Amino acid sequence: MAAIAKDKQSKSGISVLAKAGVYIVLLAGLLVTVLPFVYILLSVFKTNTELIQVPPTFLPQNPTFINFTTIFTDKDLNLPRFFYNSLFVSLARVGITLFTSSFAGYIFAKYDFRGKTFAFWMILVLIMIPFQVVMIPNYLILARLGLMDTLWALIVPTMVDAFGIFMMKQFIESLPSELLDAARIDGSSEFGIYARVALPQMGAPLASLGIFTFMATWNDYLWPLIVITSTENRTLPLLLTWYDTQHSSNHALGLTGGLIILAPIMLVYIFLQRWIVDSATQSAFK
Amino acid sequence: MQILPRPSRLTAGQRRFASIGIAPILVYVLGFGILSMLWATAMSFFAYTPTRQGSGFLGLGGANPFVALGNYRELLWGVTKPAKVFRLAVGNTFLFTVLALPLNLLITLPLAVMLESVRERMRTLFRAIYFLPTITSSVATYLIWRELYADNWGLISTFMKMIGLTPPKSFLFDSQAVYFGVPLAMVACVIAHVWQDFGYNLVIFIAALQGIPKSIREAAKIDGANAWQEFRFVVVPLLSRTLLFTCVLTVLSSLQVFVIFQLLTRGGPNNQTQTMLLSIYQNAFVFANNLGLAGAMSMVLFMIILILTVVQFRMLRTQWEY
Repeated sequence: MAAIAKDKQSKSGISVLAKAGVYIVLLAGLLVTVLPFVYILLSVFKTNTELIQVPPTFLPQNPTFINFTTIFTDKDLNLPRFFYNSLFVSLARVGITLFTSSFAGYIFAKYDFRGKTFAFWMILVLIMIPFQVVMIPNYLILARLGLMDTLWALIVPTMVDAFGIFMMKQFIESLPSELLDAARIDGSSEFGIYARVALPQMGAPLASLGIFTFMATWNDYLWPLIVITSTENRTLPLLLTWYDTQHSSNHALGLTGGLIILAPIMLVYIFLQRWIVDSATQSAFK
Repeated sequence: MQILPRPSRLTAGQRRFASIGIAPILVYVLGFGILSMLWATAMSFFAYTPTRQGSGFLGLGGANPFVALGNYRELLWGVTKPAKVFRLAVGNTFLFTVLALPLNLLITLPLAVMLESVRERMRTLFRAIYFLPTITSSVATYLIWRELYADNWGLISTFMKMIGLTPPKSFLFDSQAVYFGVPLAMVACVIAHVWQDFGYNLVIFIAALQGIPKSIREAAKIDGANAWQEFRFVVVPLLSRTLLFTCVLTVLSSLQVFVIFQLLTRGGPNNQTQTMLLSIYQNAFVFANNLGLAGAMSMVLFMIILILTVVQFRMLRTQWEY
């Protein structure tokens, strides 16, 4: 008996130790994850001189808003315009993608038409084409359409999301067809059935498709870098390029610009984190 | 394989609605997907510059002459600078992938197992924070990392001095700093990339672990397996499908990394961090003197991606059927 009790005790001793070890590793990981964020949050309140002094300070010695005031009062830099561009492009892409994905997904799931299999294979092929292969021709197409250096250049090449169509089709197949038939008997038009019966059922998958489209557009750097040349059509991530060329030696200003780019997404994430992470996980398993 | 349902009892009107509804979307896909793809392929056989007025379709031909496999031959054996740099870039892209993938798995797998063992509340909290870099704008995160890597006053070199190490002359710009054949600048890029990217694999692994029935792991414990044996002989085999899936995604995304190199090093020092996508971008949009060559580069990248995807999915299948 005593031996068993002792055994139990030592086992729980080990498990307490193991548990402590687990938390130490997890906390260390946490520290590495958040440290760069802490760094930027503290740095934006330092002057550039303080930021680059050796050895560096941890907390700002004389907290200052100078970086923010410099950026917000810079006459050459129209920050609200950048912000508006980012928001406009992101929202437009979300709206268009959600419509094309849900509408095409709905048709593929619930209708039949000539060449349907071929059409669907076309969508599947589109999923496999990587962006950098079509990047050059898409650029040339936009040039021919006269859309270069406009906000539409950021929207037009990505109005149909093949993966989104695929995802929505999978989802809509699970909706009972009786629901649609009932609306048909009530005299609803086919588009009316999509808009008033099917669409309201698609809230959850549309929401996750929407948030990822939004974040991808908001954070996109390469495509705007290629197609946007004039200052007033820049999106927020290009703000960085601005500060690199104008004030390459001012690191504090650069970091403040970085914070302005990441803050909106951060705010959204704080409120929706659980749902965003779950959506990311689910989309991987589809 | 029945991938599409065949709804019966459709009236002619419903079929018409479907055709008319889907047509614009298909035309669009044809234009911006399939046509672009074919255009890129065609372009790679020409010496093409958009400023020159070609004679043929899409400006190909005439002043933009057909060179058959000339661009590809140039990329393989050519002595011009873009070709030489591109060959370096192919090696660097693979080096980056080969370093980033194991580092990613070495962090995410154990972390996921540990997270799975803590209480639900804590798990959600940790998971949310670990996922933070993944949702953050990559431009902003690399901006931060550039400062962290700064010579002399940067946080990392300060930390190294604090614990008694001598920081390297420069993390990102010293072409002499090469360890075991790997340039320091490349290591720095890999670390910054994995920091931003690991959250995605982590949440997938956590979800997969939660999908393993408790009874199987209990059975292993009763049979006397210790934590490592349980992990190695129970968890890993059951996770193999997820593991391979995440490997495919991680490799594909590593091959297509752009922002990190553009912002941290611009391919330097001395082309040590020059990657394929960076080369394509520079040749097509910065130098912009031969889009045919850039097109050929993008086709090479596409072929590599395609082959790796097929190989990895083959592996996925065999692993699944053992």
